[in-house]
Amino acid sequence: MSVKAILTDVTKCLGCLECVVACKATYSLKMDLPKTWQKNDGLSANNWTSILQKPGNHYIRKQCRHCLEPACVSACPVGALSKTPEGPVIYDNDKCLGCRYCMMACPYGIPRYDWDKPVPYVRKCIMCYDRIKEGKPPACTQACPVGATIFGDRDELLAEAHRRIRQNPGKYLNKVYGEHEVGGTSVLYISDIDLGFLSYQPNLGELALPQTTSTAMKSVPYTFVGVGAFMLGLNWIIKRRMKLQDQEVEKEK
Amino acid sequence: MDRVQITKTILWIITGLTAAVGITRFAFGLGAVTNLTDATPWGLWIGFDVMAGVALASGSFVITAIFYIMKREEFHPLVKPAVLTAFLGYVAVIVGLLFDLGLPWNIWHMMIYWNFHSPLFEVGWCVMLYTTVLLLEFSPVPLEEASRYAKIRNFLMKFRFPLVLVGIMLSTLHQSSLGSLFLIMPFKLYPLWYSEILPILFFISAVALGLMMVSLESLVSSYLYRRKTESHLVAKLCKAAIWVLGLYFVIRMSDIIATGKFGLIFSGTWESVLFIIEMAMTVVIPIALFSIPRVRRSLAGQWVGSLLVVLGMVFNRINVGGLTMLRVTGDTYFPSWTEIIITLGVVSGAALAFLFAIEKFHIWKKRPRHPESDRHAKPHFDRTSEVWLGAPGVAARTRYSFAFVLSFAVAFAFLPGKKIHSGGIEEVPTRKARGGDTLFVDGNRDGYGVTFKHDLHMAKNGQKQSCILCHHMNLPMDKQSGCYACHRDMYSPSDAFRHDWHASSAGANLACHQCHEPDEERMAFTAKKCEDCHKDLFVPGSLIEVEKHVASSYTDAMHGLCVNCHKRKAMELPDKPNLARCATCHESTPPDYLQAAIKGKRSGPYFNHVVLPGASVQRREP
Repeated sequence: MSVKAILTDVTKCLGCLECVVACKATYSLKMDLPKTWQKNDGLSANNWTSILQKPGNHYIRKQCRHCLEPACVSACPVGALSKTPEGPVIYDNDKCLGCRYCMMACPYGIPRYDWDKPVPYVRKCIMCYDRIKEGKPPACTQACPVGATIFGDRDELLAEAHRRIRQNPGKYLNKVYGEHEVGGTSVLYISDIDLGFLSYQPNLGELALPQTTSTAMKSVPYTFVGVGAFMLGLNWIIKRRMKLQDQEVEKEK
Repeated sequence: MDRVQITKTILWIITGLTAAVGITRFAFGLGAVTNLTDATPWGLWIGFDVMAGVALASGSFVITAIFYIMKREEFHPLVKPAVLTAFLGYVAVIVGLLFDLGLPWNIWHMMIYWNFHSPLFEVGWCVMLYTTVLLLEFSPVPLEEASRYAKIRNFLMKFRFPLVLVGIMLSTLHQSSLGSLFLIMPFKLYPLWYSEILPILFFISAVALGLMMVSLESLVSSYLYRRKTESHLVAKLCKAAIWVLGLYFVIRMSDIIATGKFGLIFSGTWESVLFIIEMAMTVVIPIALFSIPRVRRSLAGQWVGSLLVVLGMVFNRINVGGLTMLRVTGDTYFPSWTEIIITLGVVSGAALAFLFAIEKFHIWKKRPRHPESDRHAKPHFDRTSEVWLGAPGVAARTRYSFAFVLSFAVAFAFLPGKKIHSGGIEEVPTRKARGGDTLFVDGNRDGYGVTFKHDLHMAKNGQKQSCILCHHMNLPMDKQSGCYACHRDMYSPSDAFRHDWHASSAGANLACHQCHEPDEERMAFTAKKCEDCHKDLFVPGSLIEVEKHVASSYTDAMHGLCVNCHKRKAMELPDKPNLARCATCHESTPPDYLQAAIKGKRSGPYFNHVVLPGASVQRREP
């Protein structure tokens, strides 16, 4: 199955919030009261996508980026988060133990938490995985009245993005956001303003974040055996040395 | 009271506070007792209880390596207390983690769902296994109390050496993997702490910390029970610490220099100050102190040096665990007092268990003796208060229970009720405007107040009877309801009908039959319409379609005015646009005449770029 993706054209977005409403309606998300623990980007456990307004009437939709090699999936100790072959990164309520390492690991700061509930879960956009499986587009892309955010195969959308940039010289920045960032994402943006504010650092680089821990994790079995062997060897040498010393003492006697 | 009794009383007080806060945490969720946010999901409980807790419990693997592997027999008196502290330390880490985890009853999921890519998975398994190993290592001590357990004890003693070996192997793994946890956050962690060799740094610092924790344990317990300190052993540990700390310093500084971050140390940011303090506490001052043999052998030198290293390493774990991420996340996290209480309480619980074990089991060569353990002592007369006190054992138990219950009650009295009852909803910033009955209310907390006409709201909602709508019927402990309480989400219609208010005698005081027909089922859609009573709320002939009991949203109201009319007219006149798509009226860039109008003002988010019909909307040709 080809990897699906969402392409958002920032220059087309009106900021009408139809995508937000569609998302809330699809997952019956509750009304969002301003809470002390929310970040000021509009996302919350009840808002899986939001529209950021930037000076000069720029509207940028913020949502989970569905990285090709997601940091959250590699971080989760029980595999509650998983990357599906279709592209979405989905979450399993029943596996989660609530450590929130995924929230720490995400370079975009996307996953949100039910801080006010005694039984809390991690909440984030799941790219309408059920709808995709049925062959339908995600609710947000279907709701967009101006086609600012569209759904399709990742390869085709990348080609479309590059085509739009080529055909309208000067209109867009010459960059498809999400093409190579942290190993590539399934949510792509083309824009006339820099979208560095969507992540914690303006330039994330092209290294996929799971690779930062993989070296350490791969060396775990070797370290384990190595330390054991070293300690046994050390013990053997010291024991032998003490034995020899004792023999010498006895000889002297 | 002697030192031990005072210490125990304080520990019981803290445990009592913790019990109350703990109940609140599980009843109302993490948001009720913590200051954690979506940007700072790991706070004090991870930074101190888990990160520093595991590091602080490293004494056991260091001392067992010295005693069993390197065969330094003279350290024998320090082994049992170190293993006990480590075991209690790990239990404290797990208990602390149970408070911090959102779904602590799923903690066992790590055993059945495996993710080999996750450093946390590895840490979790190692902590589970190592706690078991520590329990097996320590259990011969309590088992020797009764002779009927001799068989089990002898069996366990046979496996002493392999257990120690496995313990060291597991410790090496998870002490370093705690550092690996943060390798995945290169963008959040401040560069002075982020390093690709973080696991190695964590391991070396854990070894140094282990040496110093064993020293500190010996110092603290000999202070409490007025014993002779194992001063010559502590001096040896301090000497070893010089080398380990030196190695740590060299590796860390060369990594910082090699990656070109050296300039950051003197950049003057608050992180650079943190770094300098941390390095001074953990490395520079202790090495300077311990290098002088006279200081190293003196009690004061040992106290200061080991305390500095221990506190400094705790500081290091907190720095890595989230403190130095605040610049990037833009958050202003500081632990709430309830978080601090839980942290202290978990430590206090472990300390109480430690003191219990010290008094009951054969951990030191000579078991400490103090009045409490003397059950057969006679009641004694207290000269200052002129009362007979019970036997010391009974008196102590009464005192500790009293301390626990009292602090439990006090904690409940001071718990942040606002956070619990209103679920963490931010207060509505309100201030009085100059003159008149107008307020500035920042309903959506975006820093911009809107004028709120109090008298207008009163007049609209029924004069004096309306106070309760905003001031008493609102969320508990909130002074006034926010604007959102009535003016709901811009895009969703709100159910403004309050059944309980209509039915209650303090509210509308209506009987059931006044709205519901007596012989019909009592449901929303069989009841009376709103406008039957609230006639003034509904404009006759309004273009907005009103659903029963549901107030239309801003958008519905605005769209109702234009779209509904156009729809109706479009059927009659073919040249009218039917406005079915948003883009018919909304454009991403407002036209010139509107831009001039909104210039200088803060542009409202969604209505300013509505292109009014006639300006740029192309009429369909008939």
